[in-house]
Amino acid sequence: MIGRIRAIALNTFREAIRDKVLLTLIVFAVLVMASAKVIQPLALGEEQKVVQDLGLAALTLFCVLIAVLVGGRLVYKEVEKRTIYIVLAKPVRRWEFIVGKYFGLMTVLAASVAVMGAAFYAILLLTGVPLSAYPLIAMVMTVFQLAILTAVAILFSTFVTPIASAVFTFAVYLVGHLTRDLRLLAAMSPSPVIKALSQFLYYVLPNLSNFNVRGEVVHGVALDPGALVLSALYALVYAATLLLVAVAAFSRRDF
Amino acid sequence: MSTLDAPVVETRRLNRVYRSGFGVKLVPALIDLDLEIESGEVFGFLGPNGAGKTSLIKILMGLSRPTSGEVTVFGRPPRDAATKSRVGFLPESPYFYEYLTAREFLRLAARLTNVPDGEAGDRAQSLLRLVGMEDAADLQMRGYSRGMLQRIGIAQALIADPEFIVLDEPMGGLDPVGRKEFRDIIYNLRERGKTVFFSTHILSDVEMICDRVGIIIAGRLVNVGRLSEILTREVESYEVAVDGVTGKYRKAFERVGRQVIRSGETLLVTVRNEEEVDRVMAIAREAGARIQSLVPRRRTLEDHFMQYVQKQDEGVS
Repeated sequence: MIGRIRAIALNTFREAIRDKVLLTLIVFAVLVMASAKVIQPLALGEEQKVVQDLGLAALTLFCVLIAVLVGGRLVYKEVEKRTIYIVLAKPVRRWEFIVGKYFGLMTVLAASVAVMGAAFYAILLLTGVPLSAYPLIAMVMTVFQLAILTAVAILFSTFVTPIASAVFTFAVYLVGHLTRDLRLLAAMSPSPVIKALSQFLYYVLPNLSNFNVRGEVVHGVALDPGALVLSALYALVYAATLLLVAVAAFSRRDF
Repeated sequence: MSTLDAPVVETRRLNRVYRSGFGVKLVPALIDLDLEIESGEVFGFLGPNGAGKTSLIKILMGLSRPTSGEVTVFGRPPRDAATKSRVGFLPESPYFYEYLTAREFLRLAARLTNVPDGEAGDRAQSLLRLVGMEDAADLQMRGYSRGMLQRIGIAQALIADPEFIVLDEPMGGLDPVGRKEFRDIIYNLRERGKTVFFSTHILSDVEMICDRVGIIIAGRLVNVGRLSEILTREVESYEVAVDGVTGKYRKAFERVGRQVIRSGETLLVTVRNEEEVDRVMAIAREAGARIQSLVPRRRTLEDHFMQYVQKQDEGVS
């Protein structure tokens, strides 16, 4: 079982790193981080914060794009190109396939965070910002956020086209950062329909703002370790639940 | 029934219906299909395009489920991982991970079929040799021709040394040399006691290598049997080619022959038995015409096949 899941994950990893999309996104992310050097003079004494803020924002955004663009076609492409016939005719259980794909993409994302993180520290060094381990916390929280988004992308990828999957997953990402507003909307709206709908979305959509600790990191505000651990656990449970739904949908499919 | 003495494949009243046109229209792909495949035989599954060959194969591979009826492979449900570990499969016009090299792909196939890591490299190498792909083994498969993909497809199907090998249109994309090599691979598998099931619409493949044949037309299995049973060895008809026939005598030939076709100066007269041949000869002598050839015709698999296809067409129209 572990051997088969690892083989599928390794294959997913290989596919991503031999694809131009991943390389392009990483190069762009590093370019955006490096652009801090250009806008530094405009920062009026806040240079250090601007460089860190921009760098961490670019890292998160481009990793989200990788999860959305690569993850969105992960399962769909195998069905469309019929490579799935080869895999599922072998003694591979359908859940092993989905889980293998998930871990493959998570490995790609963890590696991307590592590469972009190294670039981030290199740019701090070049711009003369004192180095600290604090931004690492923001990066780790990004990985947990990606754990949820990758599961969302894979779930969509089992039944819609890559473009639709990418759009839906990105929408989940955007709305996921606004869930507190959804709750506020539910409380304040006079319409019972909007109330019910925003309440429903608040409970169903992932609360991704918990994973955004960039502000605290950049401004050196202390983080609550308990809240971070809770967020990490939340990510694992949420992702596992989505994968269960994806496996259930995928197991029922005929090819 | 224990799984030991179960047939390799057994289907009972198997039906598969697809929905089309927004799920309103039902299209039957397999209709009440009963089939048994015994251990150690090479079974050719013959049918025109769209007859339901791939639908059955997908069910046998656990890729899709029947709408109704029963199906077992080695006495167990096809989707069981334990069943699948005994089966090798080559899909129709295979398309593999183009970013992998053939060697990497075979190693992946080995891992997915639980071949121990220590053995995977050797197996991949010997299969690359078997299918004649050693030279291109370390190139990414995106540059491969259809024939090369087909060869790698066969290699990956055999990676776990399966007992039952299912090949969907395996001869597609192969040149004559490739077809010959492929037939040799099947002969070799049969000698080693493997069971082979392959679908094709190319009749000569079947005549050369199959022990038994099943003919499927429009979702129905219309005939299953040993080739020797399906193909009678006796002469079915005679074809007499006569030259220099004038209009008057042509009528006389038409009265005797089952079928009379004019081809340039030659009249092709088909008759059923030797008596009728004698009568054709007599008319020819009387007409002063010349007998160019006399060919006894045996029923070929193609005749059988065409007969079923025609019946089906008549049924539809």
